[in-house]
Formats: sequence, structure tokens, C-alpha cells
Amino acid sequence: MIFEQLSGNLIQGLVLGAVYGMATMGLSLIFGVLKVVNVGHGACIMVGAYTALFMFKQFGLSPLFAVPVAMIIGMTLGLIFYYSAIRRLLKGPELATLLATFSFGVILEETIKQLFTSEVVGYNWDLPKFDIGITVLSLSKILAAVGSILVALLLYLWFNKTRAGMAMRSVVEDDDGARVCGVNVDWEYALSFSLGIGLTVTSGVLLTMFIPVGINPYMGGPYTLKAFVIAVLGGLASPYGAFFGGVVFGLVENGSYTLFAMIPGVEPFAMTRFFSFVMLLVILLIRPTGILKAK
Amino acid sequence: MLKVEKLESGYGSMQVLWGPDLEVKAGSITSLLGPNGAGKSTLLWTILGTVTPTNGKVYFEGQDVTDLPAHKKVNLGLTMVPEGKNLFKEMTVFDNLSMGAYRKEAQEVKQENLELVYSMFPILAERKDQLAGSLSGGQQQMVTIGRALMTKPKFIMMDEPSQGLAPKLIMEIFQTIVKMKEEIGLTILLVEQNAAASLGAADYVYVMHEGSIKAEGTPDEIKGSDEIKEAYLGM
Ligand SMILES: Nc1ncnc2c1ncn2[C@@H]1O[C@H](COP(=O)(O)OP(=O)(O)OP(=O)(O)O)[C@@H](O)[C@H]1O
Ligand SMILES: [Mg+2]
Repeated sequence: MIFEQLSGNLIQGLVLGAVYGMATMGLSLIFGVLKVVNVGHGACIMVGAYTALFMFKQFGLSPLFAVPVAMIIGMTLGLIFYYSAIRRLLKGPELATLLATFSFGVILEETIKQLFTSEVVGYNWDLPKFDIGITVLSLSKILAAVGSILVALLLYLWFNKTRAGMAMRSVVEDDDGARVCGVNVDWEYALSFSLGIGLTVTSGVLLTMFIPVGINPYMGGPYTLKAFVIAVLGGLASPYGAFFGGVVFGLVENGSYTLFAMIPGVEPFAMTRFFSFVMLLVILLIRPTGILKAK
Repeated sequence: MLKVEKLESGYGSMQVLWGPDLEVKAGSITSLLGPNGAGKSTLLWTILGTVTPTNGKVYFEGQDVTDLPAHKKVNLGLTMVPEGKNLFKEMTVFDNLSMGAYRKEAQEVKQENLELVYSMFPILAERKDQLAGSLSGGQQQMVTIGRALMTKPKFIMMDEPSQGLAPKLIMEIFQTIVKMKEEIGLTILLVEQNAAASLGAADYVYVMHEGSIKAEGTPDEIKGSDEIKEAYLGM
């Protein structure tokens, strides 16, 4: 009985973990290339959630159509924000970019609030559900996970098999080395920031396919925190490390939730969150470079 | 091929270059000697454009390239073998060399250049699938030189390529540099602390100290001047 419940929850965790993983790749990419921590990460996810919501409610379009739209919105926002602020701050102290990305998040939150009010909203994408015995998975969750895996795979191929992707990877490894090869490092910075924000906004769409409720301008906070834990799990600077970090996180989150729920008098939701951050602290203490450190 | 006029630059408020003048003739190996902290590396990075010049001019093949960003200079056929190597350690040897062939013109001759690099450094062909970071110091230096050759350059600036290598390897690296001039027809600006070896390979020599050029001449002239050797080269 308990095992059934646990394995059922772990399957949910695996599916959600794939989405978490994809939702952290942008953060890791931006950190890897620019050494900038995007504190506005959760707000970008929120923009993606509203993109899906708006297209669904306004035009009755499936969230799948929101994926490319979110990518374009995110990349555009990223480019604008890079050239208007980040580029000028790269040579300054780290605090400068931290504050800048923090304000970027606030600007996004307040803009969305003006456009959509701060009401908590959701949408109802009626897709079939599959009962696989130990748990019920909806098609929309499966699509979210498959979409996440596809995006991760595409990014992997792009980084490893294409000239443009290799150039970005070379900047991650050594920017002066990239310069003597003739790579326009300035442009790679802009592109990776733009791509990072694009991926993050897109992940917001996928997350609503998993959890289509609770959408509001300030929903991003918990996602920022989770993404930090996941990024550290995955080795910080590696986007695919982050992907696997997300899968691990999804499993741990759902697994520990089930176990905490067994203890009488414990509020499992709060405990799970507590547990995640204990995990973050422990990892930082033992292996600050992350435990997965994928190539 | 390259002409530097009264170039000034530095880091933040600290000025390092105090207006050195220098010329590198096409087809020559021109050596730049000088003690630690003289500003040799800074001069090379300023020529490339990653350190911003605050004054003075850089001409490449007669064209004023002072304010051209680094990647555009590489597109003109100028590149560098940096002192810290700046390899992509987590990439394979092959991928490092491929990155050298990043620019369009270099892509077209990638296969030829790859064969050239492998024939100069056969060990790199054997190790092409290993991560660059796992190689020995000497082999990493070969990758760095190979990567520079892959950019299809006309002109290479080499910053202490023999640094930290065993004497036998130092000999080989210098032979390679002479080969690059004689067989490939490259022009080379060679920064060295190893004065004896570079006086042997160079066609012309500049001596730098505290950010400016203190002496210049043919290797024989430098060798003939006890004053220069004692004051700047510790020979
Ligand atoms: N990235 C940097 N930031 C700040 N100062 C630097 C930097 N690189 C070099 N310097 C300083 O600039 C001065 C000149 O250094 P540079 O590396 O150009 O000398 P060098 O002649 O190449 O010395 P070496 O023979 O040791 O390589 C030194 O005082 C050094 O401390
Ligand atoms: Mg130096």
C-alpha cells in the first residue's frame, strides 16, 4: 500500500522533475556564460504561465501553441534587458547584476499585474487522463514532460553538434580562448542571455501544463528558490546538469512528500520545502560544484 | 605587416603600456624580449583588442585596426597563442582544433589545416578524442598552437610558448616556430623570456621594459651589446 503510493508519487515526481529540469536550464546557461545569477528567474516563468493562459482563454489555443510564442517573447525580453542593463554591468561588482535581475523580475511582475490584475487564475485544458494503476497521469502532464525532454535534447544537440552551439560552449569554457578563435564574444553573451530567458519563459508554459492553477503575478518566488537548488544539484554552469538536477529534485520532492505525510502531526508540504533547502545546504557544504557535474 | 605606434593601455587606473613603437615585417619572426611585468602580454592583448587602447595606433597590413574588436581582427588573419593557453579544457582536442576553424574562411580549409596540424604534431592525431585538459603541458601547448593555425592566419602573436616546458620540448617548439615561418609563410611576433633561444630564431628583436621599447636591432646587434644584455635580459 505504502509502496504503491510511493512509487505512484515517484512517477509523478519523475514527470514533474523533467519539467523542473527544463525550467532550470535557462538559469544555468546564463550563469555558465555570463556568471550572472538571474534572480528574476521565477518572474520569467510567470510570464510564460500568463502567455499560456492568455492564448488559451483569449483564443482557445492549446498551450502547445504557446511554446514557440513564449520562446519568442522570452528571447526578445532577454535581448532588450541585456542591451539596456546587463551589458553595462558585467564589468562591475556582482551585486550590480544581482540587483539588475532582481529589478527585472519586479518590472515583469508589476507589468503583468497592470495587464491582468493580481487575481489568482487558472485554465482548464480538458485532456484525457490515464489510470496506470498506481497513479493517474493526465495527457497534459505527459505532454509537458515530453516537451521538456525534447527541448533539453535540442539544446544538447545544438551545443554539441552545431558551429553556433560550440561557439557558445567555448565562451563558457574560456572567453579569451574563444576570442582568439574569432568568436564574437559580446554577441555570444547577448545571445546566451536571450536564449536563457527564452527557455525560462517557455518553461513557464510547460509548468502550467503540469499545474494549470495558481497563476498570479507573484507565483515565481518558489520557482526561483527551487531552481537555485536544482542548479546547484546539477553543477551550476551546466544546462544539462540542470536538467538531470531537476529530475532528481522532482523525485526527492515527491518522495519525501509521501514519506512526511506518513508521520502523524507533520504538515508534509511545509516539511518538503524545508527538506529541499536542507538538501541545498548539505550539497553546498559537501560538494559546492554540484553532484552531477555533467559534461 | 603589423605596425604599432605609441600604444598606451592598462587595467583600470593603472597604465601599463607607455607608448611603445614596433614594426613586424611580413615573413619575419620578430621577437619581443623583456623581464617579468614589462607589459609584453598586455601589448599583445592590446593589439588583439581585448585590452582597450587608450592612445596610439595599430595598423595591420596598412589598415588602421586600433579600435577593431578581436573577432574582426581574427577575420583579417591575425591571431594569438596566449600565455595562459586559454584552451577549452572540457572539450576534446579535435573540438579545440575545430573551434580554431570557426571563422568562415577557415571552415573552407578546415580539412587541409587539420592535416597540417596533425603532421606537425602527430601526437595530437592520436589524442584527438581526449579532453584537452587531460593532456600534458607540452601537448596542451601544441593544441594551442594548432588551434591558432586552424584560424588560417597570416600573422600569429605567440606569448611565451616555451614557458614551463622541458628543454627538449623547448627546442621542438622553437623548431616548429621556424617551420611555421619557412614552410607556411607565417609572420610571427614572438614574446619570450628565454632570450637565448629566441635570439637564435628571430630576424629582428625588440627589448621592452616598464611598458616601453628600450632597445631594438638584429639578433647579432643585441647579442653584441653587453649593455642591453645586462640591463634588460639578465644574460
Ligand atoms: N588582467 C590584469 N589585470 C590587472 N593587472 C594586470 C593584468 N594583467 C597584467 N597586469 C599587470 O600589468 C603589468 C604588466 O603585466 P604583463 O603580464 O603585461 O607583463 P609581461 O611582460 O607579460 O610579464 P611576464 O613575463 O611575467 O608574462 C604587471 O604589473 C601586471 O601585474
Ligand atoms: Mg606575459
